[in-house]
Amino acid sequence: MDAIYWPSFFFLLFSFIACAFALGVLLAKNIVRMAFYLVLSLSSTAGLFFLAGADFVGAMQLMIYVGGTLVLLIFGVMLTSQERFIEMRTSSGEWVVAFFIGLMLFFTLGKAAFGVAAWSGLDRETAEAVQVEQTVTPLAMGLLGARVDKLDEPDAAKQEGMAGYLFQFEIVSVHLLVVLVGAAYLARAKRKASGASAGGS
Amino acid sequence: MNPIIANLLTEPVGVSHYVVVGAFMFTCGVLCMATKRNALGILMGIEMVLNGANLNFIAFGSRYLRNDANSLGLDGQLISLFVIVLAAAEAAVALAIVLNFYNNTGSIDVDGADQLRG
Amino acid sequence: MDPSWLPKLLALAWLTPLASFVLILFFGKHMGSHGKGAGLLATTAIVFSAVCSFTALFGVWLPNHPLQDASHHSAQHEEVDSHAGVSVPIRLVAAEAEGYGHAGHATGEHGEHANNAAPKYITADWYELGVFGKLKLTIGYYIDALTVAMFCMVSLIASCVHIYALGYMHDELHDFTDPEVTLTSGENLKRPGRYYRFFQYLSLFCFSMFGIVIAGNIAMVFVFWELVGICSYFLIGFYIERKSASTAANKAFIVNRVGDFGMLIGLMALWSSLGTFSFGDMTNEQGEVTEQGMFSLLRTEENDYHLQPTAGMVFEGDRFPECNCATGGSGDTASAGEASGSGELHAKPPTKNHAGQWLLLVAGVGIFCGCVGKSAQFPLLTWLPDAMEGPTPVSALVHSATMVAAGVYLVGRFFPVLSPEALLVIAYTGCITLFVAATIAITATDIKRVLAYSTISQLGYMMLALGLGGWIAGMFHLITHAFFKSLLFMCSGSVIHGVHTNDMTEMGGLRKKMPITAYTMLVGCLAIIGAGVPLMGIGFSGYYSKDAIIEQAFSFGVSNPRHWILQWAPVAGAFITAFYMFRLWYMTFAGKPRNQERYDHAHESPRVMTAPLVLLAVFALGVGWAFPGTNLKVTNLLEQARPVGTLVTSHGELLPALVIPNEHDAHNFLVPAGLWAFGTAASGLLLATMIYLWDFGLRPEELKRTFKPLHSWLWNKWYFDEIYEWIFIKPTKMFSGWISWIDRNIFDSIIHSSAAICKGGSKVVDAIVDRTLVDGTVNTLARGTWDTGLWLRKIQTGSLRQYVMFIAAGTILLFVAISFVQNI
Repeated sequence: MDAIYWPSFFFLLFSFIACAFALGVLLAKNIVRMAFYLVLSLSSTAGLFFLAGADFVGAMQLMIYVGGTLVLLIFGVMLTSQERFIEMRTSSGEWVVAFFIGLMLFFTLGKAAFGVAAWSGLDRETAEAVQVEQTVTPLAMGLLGARVDKLDEPDAAKQEGMAGYLFQFEIVSVHLLVVLVGAAYLARAKRKASGASAGGS
Repeated sequence: MNPIIANLLTEPVGVSHYVVVGAFMFTCGVLCMATKRNALGILMGIEMVLNGANLNFIAFGSRYLRNDANSLGLDGQLISLFVIVLAAAEAAVALAIVLNFYNNTGSIDVDGADQLRG
Repeated sequence: MDPSWLPKLLALAWLTPLASFVLILFFGKHMGSHGKGAGLLATTAIVFSAVCSFTALFGVWLPNHPLQDASHHSAQHEEVDSHAGVSVPIRLVAAEAEGYGHAGHATGEHGEHANNAAPKYITADWYELGVFGKLKLTIGYYIDALTVAMFCMVSLIASCVHIYALGYMHDELHDFTDPEVTLTSGENLKRPGRYYRFFQYLSLFCFSMFGIVIAGNIAMVFVFWELVGICSYFLIGFYIERKSASTAANKAFIVNRVGDFGMLIGLMALWSSLGTFSFGDMTNEQGEVTEQGMFSLLRTEENDYHLQPTAGMVFEGDRFPECNCATGGSGDTASAGEASGSGELHAKPPTKNHAGQWLLLVAGVGIFCGCVGKSAQFPLLTWLPDAMEGPTPVSALVHSATMVAAGVYLVGRFFPVLSPEALLVIAYTGCITLFVAATIAITATDIKRVLAYSTISQLGYMMLALGLGGWIAGMFHLITHAFFKSLLFMCSGSVIHGVHTNDMTEMGGLRKKMPITAYTMLVGCLAIIGAGVPLMGIGFSGYYSKDAIIEQAFSFGVSNPRHWILQWAPVAGAFITAFYMFRLWYMTFAGKPRNQERYDHAHESPRVMTAPLVLLAVFALGVGWAFPGTNLKVTNLLEQARPVGTLVTSHGELLPALVIPNEHDAHNFLVPAGLWAFGTAASGLLLATMIYLWDFGLRPEELKRTFKPLHSWLWNKWYFDEIYEWIFIKPTKMFSGWISWIDRNIFDSIIHSSAAICKGGSKVVDAIVDRTLVDGTVNTLARGTWDTGLWLRKIQTGSLRQYVMFIAAGTILLFVAISFVQNI
């Protein structure tokens, strides 16, 4: 019996928490509970990111997703919280159909996951020999247009794709700005409609 | 102990395992979108779908799971960063739409939003 | 007792019901008031037949042929022995000579691939009806273990049904007012009781059914085949004044004719190529073979009992040069020596006889067509549910246990003649049938119709098993199914007798009112879903037979990945079976009464009806078990009748990729098959319990509303009747309309001037070409576009969540499509 390989143990732990609370989100009837389960599920996904060596992305997951997006969602819940929206029943037929479709979808995706031989994982020695590296600097350089991680790429064909992500970064930044302006515009209260809405916020 | 479980504990996991977890979150998300009548519940489903996809990108780019020339490398992490950012933007807009819908109809039941039916 | 008693005993069992029929036919009216004595006479006759049959089994057959423990076929053994261990007991055939037909010699070492010779059998002709050239028609017998087993099964069930009918039909003892027939005067029809006539038909039916089983040649089978058909016709139309009953009787008869047409073609193909109708080899007193039967002609000992077309089965042009040789070959002394000789003559190896293979396929599929009609298989399944118009004892005897199983029996009897390609046709037919019928049973609310569809589905299981090469599995399921299905039908009859309705939506909670019926029916339900402890080998009778079928399906699926659907259909079928059977039980016996008035009037049936229920429940529970302390059990008995040449894996000649696995290999799949069977049956039961027993938030009404299109699709029985109406009945009517139109116009207006004919002709052109063809095409196109648009409009629901569901389903379909493309 070999000694326990701790990263695998933590992978099992985090993935179990993530999956269990994802299922919780699906099955919970109360919208507030759902939001809480989603927080836990996304947080433990961040743990999975750390385990895969993506430290910066994991941190961003915690900060933007858990810290930002979800707070936004919870604001939404609070703004619209009325007794009749907290729990909404879905008909049995839809649940049955959803169950079968979900089962088939998961089966198809799961079958695909084990279909590629190279995906089955490294052996223990190789995995332990991989050097731990911080990814913040290469990521930041990549966003600024310099791929420091691919400087010594020998394959000439792959050097083409070594340009950084500066352009995309710019696009996303502007996009974010536009989106926020648009969101503010959409969400602002309209004078004439508020009279018709039954007991708005 | 069951040999499969024992292997899971003593051997490193691979891309496959991550993809399965991603597939599970993805499926939960899709089902969430398909069964929740609360518009915010659907938003949460979308978040889970995006998160499942992110998990795949991270797994394809990780050197701990697959250390060969076909690995995505840092590109995977960069893509998932973009996904996170866009998810935030999407959440902001979607929330604005939901609030607008709520202001207009006084309800956040998406089954009520069927003006486009044929 | 001496084996020579066997034909005498079985003939006695066969002819006693005939005597009863003749007596009731002439004197029935005078036997007590409304023929009460007729019932007793018929019952006595059939019980006597049962006694004879069981004497034949335990007194003659078993002492002369001790059972060998063919452990491969009991689910209790998990380890797989070497194949040699099994082939020995089967080939004990050879030595014991007198009174037996020719049987192959044990061919040396029993290696793993040694094939089996013909089973032990006795065959002879009783009476020669006539000889027309080479065509010889006889009344004869062919008795092997299967015959004896079928005799016992049929006579036992028939006895139970007769006793049960004594109570069930008591309404007919006095003047009977039919509540379902209203005369023009507004009153219900009142007519004298027909008690004696019911038993008269039952006796005739028993005689005919025994005739099929004992028949020594296929021509005699055909005669009795038609006789059971006519009995079925009489019995379905017993309440002849009811429109539905007379229509159903006609439908059953006509649909069966369609199948029998194919059977006639098969018979002709076989006779023209083999020159004989008889199954086994005829012998004279010295034990020499005087006339070879079709089995030994097609599976010669020299060819290691592999199926091989005879010398007569070649193209017409190839046959003439060696005409005398071929006629000799298909005559009395054919041998494979000549067959191979003629093969050399044409300088082609005998195995490449494609014409012969095609002829065998035609013969096999032709014979199977008859079985499709009789056993209500896929294209011809519509008559059996309608046949439920007959009294319930008839449904229990004729339309579940015996007559409809005769089709399966014939396929089993004909097994040595069926080529792998014909078996594949049978397997696909069975597979489609079992699935279609099971899905229809989900929505039916008439308690007898649910059971009727269940019967069709189970017959599909048997056909599937036979088609996949699982001879024992199929035949075993035939026998276990006969017991539990007749039990289920008689229980439903008891319920109908108690509450006076067939409609399950008016029942509920009857458990407290009629406990014996309820719990015997529970035993039947558990038996049909194959309840048992997985991997332990303890369960109801259906557990053994259904597991054997699923094992064979797995074995087949592994050898033929292309036909994967045949592997998974029985597994899916097990799920649906469990669901609809327990839906039936819960709706009838559990929960709260849905119709208080009917509930208050419900009562347990009299003892003469419940006693057969209890007896059959015991058999439904234990017919799969070994007799305690012995190896006496049905599978071992059937193993003695294993058809010649089925112990090895066979390969298709026309479809070279096709492999029919031998039945012993099925045991390699005991564990996965057992787990799948148990898992699916348990989940089906659970789903039924969740919907119909527990208040779990899954409500049947709500499900029905959500799945409206699916529900109405199943509720209308896949629109089979409508499709047949459109494809066959309407065109026939239209065609006959045209014919009559031509008739009238040609013969009546022969005196009309040619101008009138011309005028009429131009009108016809206008009506047919212009209005129908031109206008019709344009109108149809327009209407089609309009309807498609309307239909597509429904998909556009505007519901966000439904779109998500569509996307997910589309993704899955895309994946499935891609995987198919990649596999090709």
